[in-house]
Amino acid sequence: MRKKHKILLFGFGRYAEQIAKNLALDAHHVLIASFNKEELKIAAKNGFKDLYIVDIEDDAQLTDLILDHDITHVFCAFDDEEKNIYLTITFKSLFRTLPVIAICESKETERKLKLAGADKVIDTMVAAANRLYYIVEKPAVAEAIDEILFKDKSIIFEEIKVPRGSFLDGKNIKDIAFSKKYKIIVIGLVDKELGNKFIFITRGINHKIDAGDVLVVVGKKEDIKNFKKLLGAMV
Amino acid sequence: MRFAQFLVDLAFLLDNSLRYQRVKRFFKNLLENDDYPYKKYFDYFMIFLILSSVVIIIEEVKTPISKWLYYYDVYFVTGVFIVEYLLRLWVYNDVHKIIILEYEESLFLERPFDTKRVLKEIVKKKLEYIFSPLAIIDLLAILPSYRELRILRIFVLFRVFKLLRYSQNITHFFQVLASKKIELFTLLMLVAFTILVSGISIYVFEEQHNPHINTLYDAFYWALVTISTVGYGDIAPVTHEGRTITMIIILVGVGLISFATSIIVSAFSEKLNEIRENRIVHMAKKLDNYYVICGFTHMAQLLAKRFQRERIDFLIIDNDANVVEKALAEGYLAICEDATQANAFRHINFNSVKAVMALTQTDMHNIYICLNVRSFSKECFVISNAVDNNSHKKLRLAGADYIISPYITAGFFAAKIIDEPIAIEAIKDILIARKNALCEQVEVIKGSFLEGKQIKDIDFDRYKLILLGIVKMEESLSKEKFHHKFIFNPDEEQRLEVGDILIVMGYSVSIANFKSQVVGSSLKHEKKA
Repeated sequence: MRKKHKILLFGFGRYAEQIAKNLALDAHHVLIASFNKEELKIAAKNGFKDLYIVDIEDDAQLTDLILDHDITHVFCAFDDEEKNIYLTITFKSLFRTLPVIAICESKETERKLKLAGADKVIDTMVAAANRLYYIVEKPAVAEAIDEILFKDKSIIFEEIKVPRGSFLDGKNIKDIAFSKKYKIIVIGLVDKELGNKFIFITRGINHKIDAGDVLVVVGKKEDIKNFKKLLGAMV
Repeated sequence: MRFAQFLVDLAFLLDNSLRYQRVKRFFKNLLENDDYPYKKYFDYFMIFLILSSVVIIIEEVKTPISKWLYYYDVYFVTGVFIVEYLLRLWVYNDVHKIIILEYEESLFLERPFDTKRVLKEIVKKKLEYIFSPLAIIDLLAILPSYRELRILRIFVLFRVFKLLRYSQNITHFFQVLASKKIELFTLLMLVAFTILVSGISIYVFEEQHNPHINTLYDAFYWALVTISTVGYGDIAPVTHEGRTITMIIILVGVGLISFATSIIVSAFSEKLNEIRENRIVHMAKKLDNYYVICGFTHMAQLLAKRFQRERIDFLIIDNDANVVEKALAEGYLAICEDATQANAFRHINFNSVKAVMALTQTDMHNIYICLNVRSFSKECFVISNAVDNNSHKKLRLAGADYIISPYITAGFFAAKIIDEPIAIEAIKDILIARKNALCEQVEVIKGSFLEGKQIKDIDFDRYKLILLGIVKMEESLSKEKFHHKFIFNPDEEQRLEVGDILIVMGYSVSIANFKSQVVGSSLKHEKKA
């Protein structure tokens, strides 16, 4: 099954709270660190157990935290953007390869975070602002997106890597009736032959699927699970 | 006494007559209400009359004009002007209300009805109008038609002045100057004083020596020409005394000119914001189906960008002047108002507003804004940003129809990005409509080729689209905005009915093509029927 990560989440403000809950839903191991005792108290109330008080300016303390717990990802999710930038720089100087994800609220901070070396930067407002657009202009689409992403927990998005020797390997994508046979919808894929970019299926290219390509699918949890099983079984 | 009785009866008759009220209101709107849709056409008509009559009068100076043009000018144009003048006099106030007021007062105080006082009051009110500057201009503009007196032709100028009434820009200009009344008056006094002193002294010194200065009038003329720094030179001082005075008043003149310039410039810079705001409000009034965004926060900026790309109109309200400046620089319509105050919405016609969005950073402000909007309109769709999870309920109570929280969406995206970066990128692309990949709704229209079909009969592949799902309208709930049933990845056998909405994904071109086919097929069907 999917590999579970150990994630160190900094802060427990408004964003971090939501992030932590979503991460926990996916059964990741979440450790929460903050310099603010109040925040950690709230985290404790929400049922999180691994809480650490840290001074974010103390490099030794941070290093220990990472090494002691085998952290695989660092999440900088303070509500205060400056702290996120500072933390990102600190971690990138301490551990070059450790993936750092940071949130920001403005274009300017996004640029700075990328300069600081963050692997992933999430502009928190982009999604909300665009959702707002759908709500007022295309309510049915908004409803559908809401349903798929948030409300209906049984519908999920997932990336599926095509294993070597599986029944998909070497097939053309249009020859397989994903939605009829497996009840899942393929949104698009990363075709390694065409580079590392995500391409929407609606582009109309009849991709030849090879091992290593990544399909992005959406469907019922059960159906996706079955599909993956099928894919794995044939190897 | 019988006359008094007659007056009172007439007043009550008018007060009770709906027809009279309606007619009067119509003319009042036509003449005075800038928001009245037909006033514009009336204004254009009047501007045309004025311009044509001015052209005729100018033409007449040198060449005799045709009989018809003469009749047009004398009878038609002047006739319209007279009628307009009388109408304006009529709608200026309600005479019958004065009579009724006096009548009721006299009943209440048990004293006889005072006809004299009523008549005096009526005349006073009407005279008030007659002596207002614009009314005087109107009256004088009627005069040039009387051809026998050539001097009256000068009043053609007043026809030009009459244009003021019909042009907003020029009225703005005068309003700006009026705000500096005191300063301009001071300046005028100063100029008058200087002209008086210098004119008299040049007259005293040079009347004997200078052949050009014969009267006091010449002296004043010279003084004005000199202090205004125009200096024609047709009259020039010849004596030493006269030249000394000239030197002094030239210096004074330079000072006065710069004083005048600075007054006018400062008046404009002070009023500039107000004028600009007025213009923006005016532009917003002309919009139909637009959004009002309260608070130009980061989220609002992103939304505004999206709206602009989709060519959707919106108006931004923010109480920070710097932020408004920024929005205006982006080319958006923005006004600087506090959206929590009733004042901010006084110019907004909520019938043409699609939705109001309260997107400030604090829940308290958002709640105030929601309440404020609700006090104006019960139906208007209101969306609010919620910072704190606890505020959702309060916002609902305050009247928000939909609540959006950036924290929840951001939390979702942030958590998923670790495992499924590609999928998240894809969703984001769809949401932002980057790379032209769109999620779109397509309604099953009556008579279109979609109606009654099963999902398997529609070849979405051919259209290069993906069907994500369909939204089924539920009859009883269809009135409420967000009450549909979403069916994800529907069965092959699912039949489409009129009113269902297909949620499809694809490139903008494919979607546009599909939509036009759907609409086209329904039109064809209609033609056949």
